[in-house]
Amino acid sequence: MISNGNLRASLKDIVIVEIGDQMGDYAALLLAGLGAEVIKLEPQTGSPSRSVGPFASAARDPEESIFFWRYNLNKKSVILNFENPAASGVLKRLLAKADILLLAGEFPTVQHRLEQCGQIAEDNPGLIRCAITPFGLDGPYCELKSTDLTQMALGGIMAVCGYDPDKDGKYDTPPIAPAMWHSYHIGGEYAAIAMMAALNFRDLSGEGQLIDVSVQVLIASCTEIAIPTYIYSGETVLRQTARHAMPAVTQMRLCTTADNAYMLASLSPFEREERAFVELADQVGIEHVLRTAEYAELVKQDRRAALTYRNDLIEQVVASQPALELFERAQALGLAWSPIRRPEENLEDRHFAARGTFAEIHHPELGRHLRYPGTVATDGQAPHLDYNRRAPRLGEHTDSVLKWAGFSRDEIASLKQQGLI
Amino acid sequence: MANQENARPRALEGVRIIDLTWLQVGPQATRLLATFGAQVIRVEWRKRGAIDFLRYFQPFAPNHATPDGGRVQGAAPTQGIRGNYDRGAYFNNTNPGKYGVTLNLNHPKGRELLKRMVRDANALCENFSPGQMEKWGLGYEELRKLNPGLIYLQTTGMGKAGVYKNYVSYGPTAQAFSGLTFLSGLPEQDQPAGWGYSYLDHSPGYFGAMLLMAALRRQRADGRGAYIDMSQTETGLMLTGTSIIEYQLTGKKTQRYGNRMPYRDWAPHGAYRCVGEDNWIAVSIQSDAQWRALLEEMGSPAWARDGRFATAAGRKQHEDELDAKLTEFTVQQDRYDLMNRLQARAIPAGVVQRAADRFDRDPQLKARGYYVDLPHSEIGTWPIEGFPAKLSASPAYVGGLTGRAAPKLGEDNEFVYHDIFGLSRDELTALREEDVI
Repeated sequence: MISNGNLRASLKDIVIVEIGDQMGDYAALLLAGLGAEVIKLEPQTGSPSRSVGPFASAARDPEESIFFWRYNLNKKSVILNFENPAASGVLKRLLAKADILLLAGEFPTVQHRLEQCGQIAEDNPGLIRCAITPFGLDGPYCELKSTDLTQMALGGIMAVCGYDPDKDGKYDTPPIAPAMWHSYHIGGEYAAIAMMAALNFRDLSGEGQLIDVSVQVLIASCTEIAIPTYIYSGETVLRQTARHAMPAVTQMRLCTTADNAYMLASLSPFEREERAFVELADQVGIEHVLRTAEYAELVKQDRRAALTYRNDLIEQVVASQPALELFERAQALGLAWSPIRRPEENLEDRHFAARGTFAEIHHPELGRHLRYPGTVATDGQAPHLDYNRRAPRLGEHTDSVLKWAGFSRDEIASLKQQGLI
Repeated sequence: MANQENARPRALEGVRIIDLTWLQVGPQATRLLATFGAQVIRVEWRKRGAIDFLRYFQPFAPNHATPDGGRVQGAAPTQGIRGNYDRGAYFNNTNPGKYGVTLNLNHPKGRELLKRMVRDANALCENFSPGQMEKWGLGYEELRKLNPGLIYLQTTGMGKAGVYKNYVSYGPTAQAFSGLTFLSGLPEQDQPAGWGYSYLDHSPGYFGAMLLMAALRRQRADGRGAYIDMSQTETGLMLTGTSIIEYQLTGKKTQRYGNRMPYRDWAPHGAYRCVGEDNWIAVSIQSDAQWRALLEEMGSPAWARDGRFATAAGRKQHEDELDAKLTEFTVQQDRYDLMNRLQARAIPAGVVQRAADRFDRDPQLKARGYYVDLPHSEIGTWPIEGFPAKLSASPAYVGGLTGRAAPKLGEDNEFVYHDIFGLSRDELTALREEDVI
């Protein structure tokens, strides 16, 4: 049931023209989920993200990039040969009907496109232009080369992620970029926020604007206590296995369950959590001295030893139970513990089934549906984001979109003859 | 309190948010809304058991920091000052630009006052444990009776709808469940490395701000409200789509790949040790041209003429040997010098920067004006992390309407209750005496 307050069509009045690479895919995907019409303009060879794996077949065909599929649901694809000088004329007519122009790519390319569209923006003062580049449109690094990995390094996330140092405090493992493509993810989320703010501003003022998104700065904005710790105390946080980077190495929280899965299990400083853990240990029959005078004395005498004792006990409790059973027992007691799942383990989870988390997307070419993670929130009944169409095939909507933009059948035929579309 | 910065045009002009959030995952959304010019009123209670954990979570401002000073007085590690909840550094960075009031929601008059505020607000945000607002009689269904156009953003670990609606979660819990923790780290004989911070304490805030701004547009147009049941875990699942689709097509279980790129013949592709303690550089070679440029930079060593490294596919196939050989070179190099030399040859390379590198040295972050000095009424002026993108017509300003970093506990009681909501000074005095504010 979809309530009156559901947001799935809240951007149905918005048209976004998207040009560029994988730094922009996710941002436009998010707004498409709220009902915005996203028109992806692609060169004849396809957008760069069509060449990002994994692929659905060994052929590595641009139509078979799973990466492209995932980040381009609901969108329409129009071919436009940007190198042809006449491309500006087509762009102009498309942008006259657009609310947002989203550009993503390396600085020189995006700068060139902004110049190409400069006059168009002047003619359409309500147009919001959002430029996503590796470092931003200005500054000494703006022309540097980058990949997702080097961005995660310079932006600072890698330095806080990885494995524990050895007993002497030395690291024999490298810093880790957590998950792939995370720079695109942060970039997409922030660009979507900035575009939403710009739409709000346009509603108030009628004015469009230029949004200049630097992926490096976005990553830098997302390292939690690393920066405040340095600014206020001068200390550097240390990366450590599966837990927060802190100025000192903390207690391990990764434990192994009876069925040999990893479990994230620890207790926060809140007393209620220790009480809940005692209950859990009692339930599973592990003997202990927590919440006795003996333990209170140990805490008083040697806090670190007391923590180690408690931590060892957590490991014993976890080792005594299979993951799913332990997860449900711990949660029933209010302990925020979780098994470390592979993403696909959530496909069959009854919680996500109840929420409608996965969108069923039909792939006619495959003759089947695939389930995509499709929302982050519900209205209490149904998801706020709505994905209902697979990613477009290259140029699938060229004719229909140009027709919508006011091009006649003859004009479209002529553009095709010129090799423009 | 006004300054030049906050006189600029604002994207969320005239928007009022009642902010009942705490920790990181809730305040992230309202931080963004304040940055775009919404009037964010942060509601807290001053009793020890109710105070936001971040107010007494390290790091703290040094004990010597005074209201008219700040970072100019120097940084120093400290355990904080017992009983003083206004010196939390991370709290200060998490809650700039917001007004701060105290309000006792366990008191009936406190709940009445909250209702009065909600009647005249655009939105309310909270991330209490599931069910807390209903216990107070302040759940969405109750509040919408007072204000049918209200936008209510509730953030929980799993989401309020569904089987696990009462399950509890911190960022790391949601990360583990969603698959994000699994995805980070060296291949599977090693443990997952997980995340050194809680991305899922940020992402729901990003989505919260995004959806709330979508709802604000509609509220402005037709007066409709919205209930947003934000799930921390789902915001993580959104990032795992490629793995999930690949699994459905091939049945192949998700793997992790350290810093390598499994889907292209890009090698070397990783973090390489440099001169100095725990110093590293990330290098990504994407083409033969970049590989040849790297060889030239290394002085065309003999090992590189090994036929195994002649093609991209060969380099990918022998990545372990390649990484070992490249490391023999990088361990003798200064990390920044090497980055500059590689970049001069158009090779993607970046130093693995620590906080000090980013704050003191990074010329790009400086040029972009990312760190913004903001005053705090107890600990003085400190650099606060700004909004990481530039908007030309309605610039984001992390100082929000207050022009300040985070509020002290109850700092704006007078302004909010008297100036905005029209309570008389006598009423305020009485409420204070009754332990309501």
